[in-house]
Amino acid sequence: MNRILWIARNSLALKVILSTVILSLGVVWITGSALNSRLSSGIREVNLNSAIVEARSTIFTADYRFLLAQGEDDAVVQKVVDDVISSATTITLNENTREVVFIRSPSNSMDMNYEVASNYLDPASIPKSLSERVRKSEDTVWQYTTMTYMQGVSVPGLAIGQKVQIPNAGQYEMYIVFSLANEEKTLNLINTYLLIAGFILLVLITLITWVVLRQVVRPVREAARIATEFTSGDFRKRMKVTSQDEISRLGFAFNEMAQSLEQQIARLENLSRVQQRFVSDVSHELRTPLTTLRMASEVISDSREGFDPIVARSTELLVAQLDRFERLLEDLLEVSRFDAEVAVLEAVDFDLVQLVNRCVEDLVLVAKERKTQIYVKSVEPAIMIKADIRRVERILRNLFANAIDHAEETQIDVNIVASDRDVAVGVRDYGIGLDEAALTRVFDRFWRADPSRARTRGGTGLGLSIALEDARLHNGELEVWGRPGRGAHFVVTLPRKTWDSIDQRLISLQPEDYKA
Amino acid sequence: MTLVMVVDDDQDLAEMLGIVLTGAGIDVDLVSRGDEVMDVFRNNPPDLVLLDVMLPGLDGIEVCKLIRAESMVPIVMLSAKGDTQDVVKGLEAGADDYMVKPFRHPSELIARIRTRLRRTNADVLGLLTIGDLAIDVQAHQILRAGKQIALTRLEFDLLVALAKEPGRVFTRDALLSEVWGYRHSTDTRLVNVHVQRLRSKIEHDAEHPEIVITVRGVGYKAGVMGGS
Repeated sequence: MNRILWIARNSLALKVILSTVILSLGVVWITGSALNSRLSSGIREVNLNSAIVEARSTIFTADYRFLLAQGEDDAVVQKVVDDVISSATTITLNENTREVVFIRSPSNSMDMNYEVASNYLDPASIPKSLSERVRKSEDTVWQYTTMTYMQGVSVPGLAIGQKVQIPNAGQYEMYIVFSLANEEKTLNLINTYLLIAGFILLVLITLITWVVLRQVVRPVREAARIATEFTSGDFRKRMKVTSQDEISRLGFAFNEMAQSLEQQIARLENLSRVQQRFVSDVSHELRTPLTTLRMASEVISDSREGFDPIVARSTELLVAQLDRFERLLEDLLEVSRFDAEVAVLEAVDFDLVQLVNRCVEDLVLVAKERKTQIYVKSVEPAIMIKADIRRVERILRNLFANAIDHAEETQIDVNIVASDRDVAVGVRDYGIGLDEAALTRVFDRFWRADPSRARTRGGTGLGLSIALEDARLHNGELEVWGRPGRGAHFVVTLPRKTWDSIDQRLISLQPEDYKA
Repeated sequence: MTLVMVVDDDQDLAEMLGIVLTGAGIDVDLVSRGDEVMDVFRNNPPDLVLLDVMLPGLDGIEVCKLIRAESMVPIVMLSAKGDTQDVVKGLEAGADDYMVKPFRHPSELIARIRTRLRRTNADVLGLLTIGDLAIDVQAHQILRAGKQIALTRLEFDLLVALAKEPGRVFTRDALLSEVWGYRHSTDTRLVNVHVQRLRSKIEHDAEHPEIVITVRGVGYKAGVMGGS
């Protein structure tokens, strides 16, 4: 049942067919009933009219014959009564049976009794109410009844009665009773035919609906199928358009949409290709002269002993700025790779703890210069993960360098936590911290927390934004917490296997040591 | 004197490379077009080739294949692109090492060149065996059942490094420092590509290596075969 409901909810065709069947059932039922009642009342009326005419003439004839027998003796009267009965009664019991009943009026106190009913019909078949009406009326009176025979048979019938005067016997009620078995049979037959016709109609309506639906639903289904293929990246599929009707217009509109989409996507793909190409070209064109510059500056720098102080310092600046220029170029290229969505993950297995320690070791001197120290704490001595080591290293270096820049001579705590599925590295400093506005912008490109603050390490202003992109490329997350004067806490969470998603945050962003 | 052929279409960079190398006591042959390389190469065979990837005439990858077809000379590719595909393409074409422009320091370039030119494993004497191969380190020869197998110097060094310590499992980082002379490099593509190339030359079935065996998640080791 649930399954049927499910299908009904999910299939337009079934839904339409079901409602069509239910509605047609109602229509067929109402029409059938109306037709049936009209037909039966029509048939009954015709039968009734002819029965009344027949009964009247029979009773009139009987009455006339009784009038003629006025003054005759009882035997003759009896003969007349018998004659009347036998001429008005059918011999055998069949659908057209007609019976005659004489009932003595209660007011009649004469001795002679002609009360009789033909063919063993039970006189009780004449309803009391009809008798009363006959007694009061001078005309014929009728009523539907059930004809019951002494043998136990009973059929529906119509009783028509009138008062008659039987010579020497006073007032009687004479009834002609018609069997309605035939009429009943006809009505039953009509009923049966109506039911059959109704059923056939219902089946036909269902079939027609189905055929019509197929014409409408098939293109809709096709459109849905093609739309699905579109979603999965196949943009070449089109709907077949063969005529000019609404469905074909749907197909036509769909195809136009498909074509426009395909063109848009092709345009975007082309843009992306152009961008990628541009990045590659810029990379080549800038790197070659930069290489020459770097080598030239190194050659000059190697012999700076003999230079006068101004030239020597200039040489130092030249070398340092070339370094910075190169870093900036690298970062810009990386950012444009992310923008063009051509950054690829090259995953290898490695020990995260070892990588963290190596990055920290490389920064020991810088940290010392800034009067800070990095402490590393790990839940396990080694944590193997599969990730792009170059990117993870870049995330860590950026976070550590950022912490050193903002630690303000406080210590830096690095915390490594791992679960079966994820790893997280928290980098906590207790320096100048970040305010609300800064928290929302800290990953923005080229954003500086305080424009008046010098960038001492010659950072490019792209480090944290690249770190965020690197983390997201791993389906990981890089988040930040900070309060002015209370330091900052950066937490990077990565799945241990490439392409997994992160399960849970292993390190709470708000540091445990912080009490608001 | 050592001769290095520098192939780069950028005149200024080529000249600068010339200055730096000459300063380090290395002779330099400058070539600026890819399609001129082979003539110069045949006339005056260098000890090492520094080869740019993007070259007019014939690109660096093709040039690399041409050189490899007739010589085992060390080749160091110079690439302006750090993208994996280019690096791997260069290595697969037969380059031993690559450097991405711009180099951190000219000294880094010179160090790389010296590593490639150094007679590594000069301390190892006599014959080594690995699998069913016999290695004559001094003569720089690999023999299988008396027949010589031609390897580049780098492939030779890689094989010798593994054969020297048959029981040891080498991590990729260890091989990078042992064979390429890198310290703290994380570029394991170099090792992977060269191991593939080496296998294609020495294994009976490169799909089921028996001489250079992968130790999953760690690195490589020398295979033990036929009780050797």
